[in-house]
Amino acid sequence: MSPCYVRGPLLFASRARIAPMTVLAALTFGASPALAQTAPSEPPLSRDSSAPSVPGSRAAQTSEPGTPPPSEQTRGQDALRTVKEPAQTHEGGFEFGSYGRVWAASDLRGGTGRGSNVVAFGPRIVDEGSYAELELRREDKYNDRIKTRIVATLALFPPFFHFTGKQLESIGVRNLYAQGTYDKLTLWAGSRMYRGDDIYLLNWWPLDNQNTVGGGVGGPVFKSSDGVHETILQGHFGMQRLDNPFQYQQIPVVAATGFGTTDITKLDRPRTIETFKATHFVRPGGGPGGFKVVLYGELHQLAAGVIQDPLTQVDRGLPSDTGWMVGSQLTFFRGLKDTFGSLVLRHARGIAAYDPLSVPTTFALDRTTSGASETQIAISGNWENDYVGVTAASYIRFFRDGNPAPTTTNKYDEGAIVARPSVFLGDYFGVSVEGSYQARRIAIANAAGNGPTTASVAKIGVMPYFSPSGKGTFHRPQLRLLYNASFRDAGTRGLYPTEDVFAQRKVEHYAGVSAEWWFNSSSYP
Amino acid sequence: MKFSNFLCGALVAAACAAPWGCVSIPDTGKKPTLGTHVGDWRDEVIYQVLIDRFANGDVNNDFGVRPGALARFQGGDWRGLSDHLDYIKDLGVTTLWISPIVKNVETDADVDSYHGYWAQDLTQLNPHFGDISDLRAMIAHAHELGLKIVLDIVTNHMGQMFYYDMNLNGHPDINIGGSGPLQGAGSRSDLTRVTEYDPDWDPRGVQAFTSLGNAGRAPIIFIDDPSINRIPSPGVLGTAQAYHGYGRILNYDDEKQRTLGDFPGGLKDVATELQSVRDEMFDKYTRWVEEIDLDGFRIDTVKHVEYEFWRDFAPRVRQRLAPQGKNRFLMFGEAFDGNDELLGSYTQPGMLDSVFYFSQHYQLFRDVFSAAIDPTKQKGTKQIETLWANRAVNYNTAPQEGGIGVAASKALINFIDNHDVERFLFSAKNDKDLLRNALVVLVLEEGIPCLYYGTEQDFSGGNDPANRENLWDTNFSRTGDTFVHFRKLARIRATYPAFRIGDTQVVWSSEHTGNEEDAGIFAFERTGGDAGSGYGLVVVNTNNFKDSVTGDGTASMKVSVPAGTQLVDVLDPDLTTYPVGSGGTIRLAVAKQRSLVLVPEADVKN
Repeated sequence: MSPCYVRGPLLFASRARIAPMTVLAALTFGASPALAQTAPSEPPLSRDSSAPSVPGSRAAQTSEPGTPPPSEQTRGQDALRTVKEPAQTHEGGFEFGSYGRVWAASDLRGGTGRGSNVVAFGPRIVDEGSYAELELRREDKYNDRIKTRIVATLALFPPFFHFTGKQLESIGVRNLYAQGTYDKLTLWAGSRMYRGDDIYLLNWWPLDNQNTVGGGVGGPVFKSSDGVHETILQGHFGMQRLDNPFQYQQIPVVAATGFGTTDITKLDRPRTIETFKATHFVRPGGGPGGFKVVLYGELHQLAAGVIQDPLTQVDRGLPSDTGWMVGSQLTFFRGLKDTFGSLVLRHARGIAAYDPLSVPTTFALDRTTSGASETQIAISGNWENDYVGVTAASYIRFFRDGNPAPTTTNKYDEGAIVARPSVFLGDYFGVSVEGSYQARRIAIANAAGNGPTTASVAKIGVMPYFSPSGKGTFHRPQLRLLYNASFRDAGTRGLYPTEDVFAQRKVEHYAGVSAEWWFNSSSYP
Repeated sequence: MKFSNFLCGALVAAACAAPWGCVSIPDTGKKPTLGTHVGDWRDEVIYQVLIDRFANGDVNNDFGVRPGALARFQGGDWRGLSDHLDYIKDLGVTTLWISPIVKNVETDADVDSYHGYWAQDLTQLNPHFGDISDLRAMIAHAHELGLKIVLDIVTNHMGQMFYYDMNLNGHPDINIGGSGPLQGAGSRSDLTRVTEYDPDWDPRGVQAFTSLGNAGRAPIIFIDDPSINRIPSPGVLGTAQAYHGYGRILNYDDEKQRTLGDFPGGLKDVATELQSVRDEMFDKYTRWVEEIDLDGFRIDTVKHVEYEFWRDFAPRVRQRLAPQGKNRFLMFGEAFDGNDELLGSYTQPGMLDSVFYFSQHYQLFRDVFSAAIDPTKQKGTKQIETLWANRAVNYNTAPQEGGIGVAASKALINFIDNHDVERFLFSAKNDKDLLRNALVVLVLEEGIPCLYYGTEQDFSGGNDPANRENLWDTNFSRTGDTFVHFRKLARIRATYPAFRIGDTQVVWSSEHTGNEEDAGIFAFERTGGDAGSGYGLVVVNTNNFKDSVTGDGTASMKVSVPAGTQLVDVLDPDLTTYPVGSGGTIRLAVAKQRSLVLVPEADVKN
């Protein structure tokens, strides 16, 4: 049996940072940093300092089309008078942004460095793998009331050509949407990563993380005159139809005319998802620091369908399914040096307990996910001054599948705690040390037969780095050296087939170099 | 305390403090404390369950299921069985014999290992049926209901894990060897049917050959195909030395072939004479008793294993389990053979407690009962009397040391049919009267009755796999005539000790099968022995065309109870009474394919 630790495909767990305002900003105001700059008295939410940093904002500011001065022209004989042309209202331009990380690492045994997590959202330090996004974006402002943004983001998945020697790269289209803002109301439609705040150290969006094709609407609904209070509402509808027999099947049938076969769609049942989000900011004194409170909910639906059993060629019904999720977030942000603390609570039932980019593999007797649930609590924070910084996170998560059996690998509790203190050596260099512990209790009997199976991993790593953009935990790019040791207990080793070296190794090494960057991305402004 | 342990403890404490609690293993899913759950195995009524066919309690282990294709997995599992133990309990059954539990080669020649007899790893469970906690929970639930569990095990062979590389080309072939006759030149090289998976018996051991002739013993090559779990076993059973390598049995009467040859279907014969192999079989199977609290083994294909193996295996199992509180652990063997003497040989001192009474299957249930549909083929009931008389001759008349405490001659495993033979109703042309009459003898004769699942639902499948129907198709109905009939018989057996532990005296049998007065009549008393003065009389008319009587001309059946005793037919809802005449004679008329189950009026219980 190959252990399956992740909640869904790793393609969600792809990038960085606590950025409490990121998607919100992108959605509600269509606010590129430069556009935001035109109204300094009302800083865009993307500038909210609950985000540890606003990577790319400087670059974006310099590249944002400026406001040209009014032009004057003299027109013909009768134009002895000077005619003042109306102000040009259209501004626009293209933007390029990116997020990326690339690793080269050894296991110090002659092999490639390998991730060692046993929980769904373990520390990213050696498990994140290489990944990159390339974003091309068009920003337009037609007048003071109307703005648009068109975003195309390609994601590159490893392994890359220089590693395998094969030119067959895996490329995914993540963002491909258009967004329009009319006054305070923003609409968007297309394919979109649609997310809240992440926990950088765990490479995880603990509250909301949608990856759908659909559309959304949002905008501020309240703002106090003193700027202390602000409330934003958002809604989204999206769908996914994974290329998986759970949702989609094509079968050959005899062609209606002529010879041979033609494919028909036998099963087509996308998962539809509606999300609702209310965010309230409190900035005492109107300063940069404050609190953010988020209430969030999701509804999921999956229609009934019929699939042709590939073994028997007999039709079999698949029942409809539903799910819901509620969650909340409380974040304190200091507004200085990326200092913040955040608490996230979340509970999901039914099919909403399963990440939409994955499909359930176990079911209740009626072949629905009724009875499945996921409950999680996550905390994270960062503090730093001119000399040192520390970022830390922890979570516990309780996952129960829909299988009525009390013992199954898909019922488990898990948690992780991680801290990464850093020392800044001058403005451009630093050393981070990361320690972590993670454990999963699985509802299958252990070898002694007296309780559940428990697997745990402890890690310790050291990471000297060069940060050309300056000091700070969340400044990028970073060029790093890394050594990490993972200490794996017997329970962890027992999750692997005996033929896998991970079934024997108690200590796993990871030594290598890497680079990580982000700039001018609409997803991580 | 290590820091990691502290953190782990903190996480666990946080989890368990949460309102939804933390994951745990139910107490019934934990390793059990062994116990002895059986007093006298003759009190038991066994029900044979093919796990894959009984009930599907967990759709999540339905890997590779093809509904309706009986040679393929159908989806039954241990949880499904546990969910329906009340059905079994209601039927009057007290012991379950469950099909093998260990991990198998998944499939072979487009047939699946749903039956469990193609073992690949004796240390792992078959995931098609659940995990160890599911199995433990099922057994704990059964014990809670007073049901015992007997596990089917195989020591003779393993699943098809290797082939004989007869043409030395390094991969398994199914082909025709030789070039055949050349026109005008006579035969150059004989055509030979070759399957390197399952070659025929060769007393030299399976031979390799080339176009130039023999090339010595064919190498044994293990297959590495993880996709169907066709990979070598761990330990000694994954080595060539653990197998005999003589090829497929062609003549079952040849003892050498029988004990050294491969079982048909490419099931490779294990070299059970090696002590390392014996140790492996003993240790791995006994460990399962310790892990899940089994009450007995049904042992497959015992006649294909040398006697010394059983003298090694059986006592060691008893000796290892007894100190752990597991006594009277039943071990009965299956020798698919009508040779009564051969069957009995496996019960001799130091070997098994009992065997499947295959000779009775043929001579009683086949020749007398199911053959009743054709009087020209039906045998007289005298044959039964003769067979039964040999119980004390061919079978051990003393209990095994440390065994179940009952001699094999009194604890034979009686059965009408099982998963290896066509169902009774198939051979009886679906005549349910014949089945119900046969069930009377099965339940009330001496020994331990064993009912094959689905018999109570009138299943009528032919040979394997047609005789392995899905029980859930019946919705577990408890209202069918055969279900009700069997339940009543089981209750009679449970109510009257004479039918469980009394000795047997045949009081009427006949060679007649035609129109004679007593044609088809068979009657036996159960009394004495451990039943003391308890008394029961079973009178069966196996004739399918006429009523018969317990007499012939002037002769009448004579019973051992005094004249004037009123015998009550407790099978009859009206509790009809029959007086015993002078001299203990009683002349009873029995309708065709009907039975009387008589006990003294004074003993009748509600």
